[in-house]
Amino acid sequence: MLSLLGSTGMVVALVGAGLLVARGVGTARSGRATNLAGAARLLVSGAVAAMAALVVALLTDDFSLVYTANHHSSLTPFPFDVATAWAALEGSIVLWGLVLAGYTWFVFRRYRRSPDSLGAAALAVMGGVALFFFGLMVTVANPFEVCVEAMEAGCAASSPWPFATVDTPGNGPGPNPLLQNHFMMAIHPPVLYLGYVGMTVPFAYAIGALALGVPGPEWLRRSHRSTLVAWSFLTAGILLGGWWAYEVLSWGGYWAWDPVENASLMPWLVATAFLHSGIVQQRRGMLQAWNFILVISTFSLTILGTFLTRSGTINSVHSFTQSAIGPALLGFLMLTLVGSFVLFSTRADLVASSPRMGSFVSREGTFLINNLLLSVYAFIVLIGTTYPLVLEAFTGTQVGVGEPFFNRLAVPLSFMLLLVMGFGPVTPWGTTGPELVWRRVRNPAVVGLAAGVLVALAVSRNGWVVLSITLGVFVLATLAGLLVEQVGRRTAKTGETVVDATRQVVTGDGAFWGGQLSHAGVVLIAIGIAFAANLGTHAQVEMRPGESTTFEGYTLTYESPFQQTPPGKTVVGARLTVTRGDRTVGIVEPSWNFFGAQSGVGTPDVLHRPGGDLYFTLDDLPEDAGDPVSISLDTSPMIWVLWLGGLVTVLGGFLAMRARRTERRVAEERPTVDV
Amino acid sequence: MSERLRNILTVALLLVLATVLIALVATNPTAADRVESIGERIKCPVCQGESIANSPSQMARDMMALVEERVDDGAGDDEIIDELLFSYSGAVLLDPPARGPTLVLWIAPVAALVLGAGVIFWWRGHPGGGPGTDDVPVRSRARRLAPLLVLGGAFAVIVVVAGFFLQEREGPASGVANLAGQDLTEVSNETMEAVIAANVDHPQVDGMRLALAERYYETGDFRSAFPHYLAVAESPNAADPEAVTALIRLGWMAWEGNGEAGTALDLLDEALAIDSGSDTARYLKAQVLWCGAGDAAGAAELLQAVLGDPELADDSRELIQSDLDAIRSGDSCR
Amino acid sequence: MNRGIRWVGYGIALAAVAFAVVLASRFGSDPGLVDSPLIGRSAPQFDLAPLEGGDPVSLADLDGNIVLVNFFASWCLQCRNEHDALTSTADAFADQGVTLVQISYQESPPNSISYLETAGRSEHAYYLADPGSRTAIGYGVFGIPETFFIDEQGIIVGKIIGESDAFTLGATIDAIKRGETPGQSVTGDTQQRPDQ
Repeated sequence: MLSLLGSTGMVVALVGAGLLVARGVGTARSGRATNLAGAARLLVSGAVAAMAALVVALLTDDFSLVYTANHHSSLTPFPFDVATAWAALEGSIVLWGLVLAGYTWFVFRRYRRSPDSLGAAALAVMGGVALFFFGLMVTVANPFEVCVEAMEAGCAASSPWPFATVDTPGNGPGPNPLLQNHFMMAIHPPVLYLGYVGMTVPFAYAIGALALGVPGPEWLRRSHRSTLVAWSFLTAGILLGGWWAYEVLSWGGYWAWDPVENASLMPWLVATAFLHSGIVQQRRGMLQAWNFILVISTFSLTILGTFLTRSGTINSVHSFTQSAIGPALLGFLMLTLVGSFVLFSTRADLVASSPRMGSFVSREGTFLINNLLLSVYAFIVLIGTTYPLVLEAFTGTQVGVGEPFFNRLAVPLSFMLLLVMGFGPVTPWGTTGPELVWRRVRNPAVVGLAAGVLVALAVSRNGWVVLSITLGVFVLATLAGLLVEQVGRRTAKTGETVVDATRQVVTGDGAFWGGQLSHAGVVLIAIGIAFAANLGTHAQVEMRPGESTTFEGYTLTYESPFQQTPPGKTVVGARLTVTRGDRTVGIVEPSWNFFGAQSGVGTPDVLHRPGGDLYFTLDDLPEDAGDPVSISLDTSPMIWVLWLGGLVTVLGGFLAMRARRTERRVAEERPTVDV
Repeated sequence: MSERLRNILTVALLLVLATVLIALVATNPTAADRVESIGERIKCPVCQGESIANSPSQMARDMMALVEERVDDGAGDDEIIDELLFSYSGAVLLDPPARGPTLVLWIAPVAALVLGAGVIFWWRGHPGGGPGTDDVPVRSRARRLAPLLVLGGAFAVIVVVAGFFLQEREGPASGVANLAGQDLTEVSNETMEAVIAANVDHPQVDGMRLALAERYYETGDFRSAFPHYLAVAESPNAADPEAVTALIRLGWMAWEGNGEAGTALDLLDEALAIDSGSDTARYLKAQVLWCGAGDAAGAAELLQAVLGDPELADDSRELIQSDLDAIRSGDSCR
Repeated sequence: MNRGIRWVGYGIALAAVAFAVVLASRFGSDPGLVDSPLIGRSAPQFDLAPLEGGDPVSLADLDGNIVLVNFFASWCLQCRNEHDALTSTADAFADQGVTLVQISYQESPPNSISYLETAGRSEHAYYLADPGSRTAIGYGVFGIPETFFIDEQGIIVGKIIGESDAFTLGATIDAIKRGETPGQSVTGDTQQRPDQ
């Protein structure tokens, strides 16, 4: 029954997508209004039905569905049973489809308010993308196939026909142990997808504008909000992933330059560039070519990322198992890239007609530099991730490209970006002289350097730590200076209190100040990373029960090993008490988790402290309770600054969605071609 | 205060602070842990992408223990990594080396940045459509700069391509010519074995073989030394002095190790055929003749000839003289 | 300006196609599989004590023989499957100058010993312990089972990654006797220690 519901949902969504494409294209070309509501409703209802069917099947332990049979187990506790919906390949596509349908609905609602060709064209493109993903679901990645030959735990053979004779296995093997270890599994993928999939919206508008030959900032204005939402979610998704890796992986690592992590970073970098560069086009009409290239690249990189994760061409901790989905995704990626850029080239005259930049010492100039830096950054991540693949294809030589390579290039680039972050917001638009910039920058520069000297004297002389503080404080100081300048000007004019004036200034230009908040967040992230990565310490100890050892001013006492059996798993670990002076700071229990018949997963334990985290990993647990246990100890100083910075960055993104007060008065879109 | 004075003071303050900062950072007392930094460049073979420094798995820890031991032995960073690559291939390197096929990865990012900057400058200087600002002096400055930047980028690209085609072989195999020039005392036996094994046809490999064999010989590891001496002795490429040394050692091992007088004599004769004036060969042959073949007369003749060498060292002369005396007075072998 | 933009657009499209072709060529190949660089090189020396203790056995002792070096452990399913094939091969070729050396990988000797008690041993084979995994590292072991074939001159001429069987082992030994270099072949998956 659930298979029928799910399959029907997929097909309905597919039909809706197809109708959206057909009618959307028709509307855009002819200018004659067609009712797109039906198509949109079909798409959304189908997507919702599919997801609902999947989730219900998991919650009710319906093993007649192949997906449930192969990835779920009746012992899997909540919320991991729901999270199993996106833990495996087919389910993750269903989630993608649902989010895509959601974004399409929002684009449709905007279109409904003011129907015109551009809106219709954008809907057509979104429908096209949905057509591909639901097409995948119906053909190669069908989660609603029924089991026709059961095994003891899982399904041996399946059929896509919902009415086939079902052979239901008694149970399933459950999700991958790594995906049951932490509640973040229920949150990280949906948030990440809200980011990834959201990038389809500006892409759709861009392609629509190119196809219709409509230049100018209209497509940017309409998609700007979606871009901000998507960017904010993508940022949050990446950071949540890092936090999850940190809490779960056994070495205090939140970022390993793993190919799939890179696959999420690349679109983020290019999306950030696009977000900034779009502002220039909306204000000054410049950088149009850049914006088209950036938005097409962003969307393409999300598809590339999906491809790398699911095709089996690159080895990664995150890889889904290989399937026929690889060639399909590659084909779609090609279609997107080639089609979009050929379209872009044929509209070159349209794209090129934008005003020239006067001087580099202007806001536009800093944005251009920003574009360059972020694009090179994304390029570096791209070549680092794909070079082993390319080299092996051509010469058969196998090379490894990992953390040392990426860190060597990413760290200087990041500091260059921090520097631009300080200069950019205080540089005025247009060709004004550099004197204003100098006046706004000189005091913050002094403050930044002074802070650096202070840190070098009081904390550490590590170059990266000092540099991160110097540049970070510089950026924060320029920000503060700008705020003070504007609040001062306002109080002089209106006589309001400082608090009121500040509130008015900030809410008066939410886009700008939200962005500045995000910059502050990025500064905190940089500082957190610099401290944790460079000032961390490591030790490995062996202790018998009752023995103690000291580490970084804490006393650790190994109490005893332990074993627990919560539902669905067996936990084996060591219990340690952590004290400082005469005060007990906490009890930590690093462990290994064994899920059913599958191999164990190391689960570290983290003690969160204001000065930094203490990280405990179980290396060796002896069979005899009296034998020594081997524990790895790590510190991550000030790492909470990283997570705080992440939160602030995301908050800034959402804050920036408040339009400028002047712009709010002109809330309705200007239609391009009357429908 | 006037704006100008303020600017001067600010700049001065900035310079002072910057200098202090750089001085403090440059005198950072904490040194990086060498074992850790080597470990971060090697991928744990049983994990997914983690370095052996960071992975908690047993294999990673065993490999880190090996790295630590080698560091204590005094081996160099590259040497230790080469040893691991010898067994695992370049696929476990996390840090692509700046040569050969991975040179691209080092050059391409810089080239991209330079090229990108050049393109931006060039496009800004190039007159385009629409209401632009015809800022002539700025444009000509940009125009002058742009070709330079583009040239720089093109140069970088050429270096990249050249590097790709002029690739050296990876790992220890790229060693013989390099090692021959280096101070070999820093290189480990294992590395030399590796290089030799990978370069059996290289014209200079005999010198390396001999050096390695001499090492083994010095430490008494005759078993390991033997095949290398043999290879040098039989090699058509070996220089005369190298072959002679090898044959002498082989002869000595045959006699002292196995008591095979006949084999020893053959080998020493071969050595003398190449270098009839070799004191060592003649002395050894005399020993064998005296103690093994019972040919005291022949031995005496040889020792006499050796004493005739004007360049013979004094202490050797004493030793040989005493031996000669012993033979002449009819003593049995010592 | 237009021309420049056109070039950029078409250029990226072209690069994308080339990139896709390269990616497509990698379908079906295992990205984790590494070609062993040891094929054709002198086998790394080892000098290991048997599992129960006693005089160490070194590769040099077996000079002149064809040596099969197999890494195994009790927690490895494929190793258990191939164990009988290895034992019978060791017995069958014992008088033809072929020696089997089985080295315990990432396992304590008592565990390996009790495993061999049930699995069985060959009188003509050696069962050695590898403390600190030095030999496994020297042979570039990524996972088990891996079996290396060393010819009479001490050169590694073959490697089997994954479970082997009597036929494959015998055929490989015959090929080596004829002076061929069988090279590397993958017969199946390898395993890691379950608690890692």
